[in-house]
Amino acid sequence: MIEIVNVSKQFAVSGPAKPFRRVPKQTIHAVRNVTLSAPNGRITGLLGPNGAGKTTTLRMLGALFQPDSGTIAVDGIAVAQEPRQALARMGILGDAHGLYPRLTARENVVYFGRLQGMDSDTAHARAQELSRLLDMASILDRRAEGFSQGERMKTALARALVHDPANIVLDEPTNGLDVLATRALREALRYLKSPEGGSKCIVFSTHIMPEVQQLCEHVVVMAQGRSVAEGTVEELLAQTGQTQFEDAFVKLAFEAHDTGATV
Amino acid sequence: MNADFFRNVGVVLVKEVIDALRDRRTLLRLMVPAVLMGPLLLLALSGLISSLEERAEKREVMVAGMDHAPTLRNFLERQTYTVKAAPPDYEAQLRKSTLLEPVLVIGVGFEAELLAGERPSIELVSDSSNQRASSGVSGLKRLLQGFNQERATLSLALRGVSTDLLQAVSVDDRDLASVQARATRITVIIPMFIIMAVLYGALTAALDSTAGERERGSLEPLLTNPVQHLALVLGKWFAVATLGMAVALIASLSFIPAQWFLRSDSLQAMFQFGIPEVIAFLLLQLPLAAGLGAVLMALAIRSKTFKEAQAGSGLIITLVGLAPMVSMLNPGGDVPWYLWVPGLSQNTLMMLVLKGETLTLAQVFPSVLVGALLTLSCMLYVAHSMRSAVAR
Repeated sequence: MIEIVNVSKQFAVSGPAKPFRRVPKQTIHAVRNVTLSAPNGRITGLLGPNGAGKTTTLRMLGALFQPDSGTIAVDGIAVAQEPRQALARMGILGDAHGLYPRLTARENVVYFGRLQGMDSDTAHARAQELSRLLDMASILDRRAEGFSQGERMKTALARALVHDPANIVLDEPTNGLDVLATRALREALRYLKSPEGGSKCIVFSTHIMPEVQQLCEHVVVMAQGRSVAEGTVEELLAQTGQTQFEDAFVKLAFEAHDTGATV
Repeated sequence: MNADFFRNVGVVLVKEVIDALRDRRTLLRLMVPAVLMGPLLLLALSGLISSLEERAEKREVMVAGMDHAPTLRNFLERQTYTVKAAPPDYEAQLRKSTLLEPVLVIGVGFEAELLAGERPSIELVSDSSNQRASSGVSGLKRLLQGFNQERATLSLALRGVSTDLLQAVSVDDRDLASVQARATRITVIIPMFIIMAVLYGALTAALDSTAGERERGSLEPLLTNPVQHLALVLGKWFAVATLGMAVALIASLSFIPAQWFLRSDSLQAMFQFGIPEVIAFLLLQLPLAAGLGAVLMALAIRSKTFKEAQAGSGLIITLVGLAPMVSMLNPGGDVPWYLWVPGLSQNTLMMLVLKGETLTLAQVFPSVLVGALLTLSCMLYVAHSMRSAVAR
């Protein structure tokens, strides 16, 4: 169960470079009052165009930095106050998901399992189990060096899930994956959400609409740092009076909030 | 801090060491110079020394115009020296370093002037940029001084004056240096190679576990584990220091077989480098490996790429690697502050070990303190910077 309430974050970034002159800092409001509630046993989609603030929101959820205002709680544990307890309850597949190229897929997974506090035997057993779920038996004992994009993604996902977390956070996981790999990932997520798979709480960010339609029971649309709408795909269609989800999304993300330009 | 903390340090340490050892190509490139460079230099030096010794044994003088000085020839031959005629272009040859001994040049009127008591002059020609030739100069000077002395003694004796008047003071040489201390004139290069070995051993591991991790995009996932940042940093640092020490160990050990091949017997007798010296060397490197490993990590954590970190660490590597030069250029003039400078202190202490001296706590303490302070401050800095490094 993940609860993000009224979270805001701004960054100071350098403006255009001018030689021999101090560049004045500009403030970017990356996230403005975003609220998201993701219960267990549901896949919650975070849908938004590039630069909408999805990654920033998820990185705050992953305790990489703190929000300026608002609260984030995982299973009732405040991320800002008890980051390590909160992280132990989450499996995060972030924007950056580099592997250790000289370790095998299994070693990559087991390393993170050990850092999650598992003993060696349990971590190895879990790696075996995940290799069955994600169909990665053929790459399990190969070094990550020559992995394809799909193999890398599977390994990174297995690594994030090694401690069997109740909450799973995925930031654009299908980027660069082919149809088969995307399908396999979708199947795995459906299983994890189901009662047999442990009724996980899954938060899934993407900018690809068909994925949201096929996978997510609940969608939060983000644009320009705000959460602009939420509901099921059908509810969003009804709200905008569209028949195509793409049209509904464009309307929600780009038209309704043209006034909210970045300051 | 609790058991959990140390367990995490151990997990990170094991992973980092395995990771570094799997990188065979980098390891090989690191090991080959560390293992070969010092011993090769030692062998080259021993070759030089043995050729000097050979020349001393050969008792040869190279002279231009020997025919003008039969008396001097008589003297030289009585000292069992062989006189060799100098090639006509000896000046050019000396400059080009193709001629490796000094040349005695005798003027046409030498014999007549000598007999008339007119102090004829002899030129002693060498080139100070030609090391081998100039090293022979002092021996020749001594030889000529002997000739002078003999002539003077004879003249005085003819006039009934005691020859003791020529030597108001008698000088006796007494060399206090132990055999090993004399050898350090040659072995002065060894500590420098050991220090380099530590630096290069620690360098790749330090950069790979910080800037490399960032560049690969694996630092962010690493930080999503519920592990204290200090535990991550300490585990990595342990691995870095261990690798630095491992390369230093191999470099130190490589000097042991190297001394079997020393060509100069006297150098072999003087240069004693055994297991006790290796152990002493390694213990002295510990503060350096720890402190510099930490400094390199602190520099690298701010860099986005391995390349950027490498450029940043170049200065540190050069400064510490060349620190021993300070004492080499100022031999015998060790100053107390040397013991406080990383690199220089290790060099100074290792030289003492090579001289066969016992180290006191007061000599070792400064380097340990500096190493510990560097480690502590840099570790805290890296632990603090890791999150902000990812957040950007």
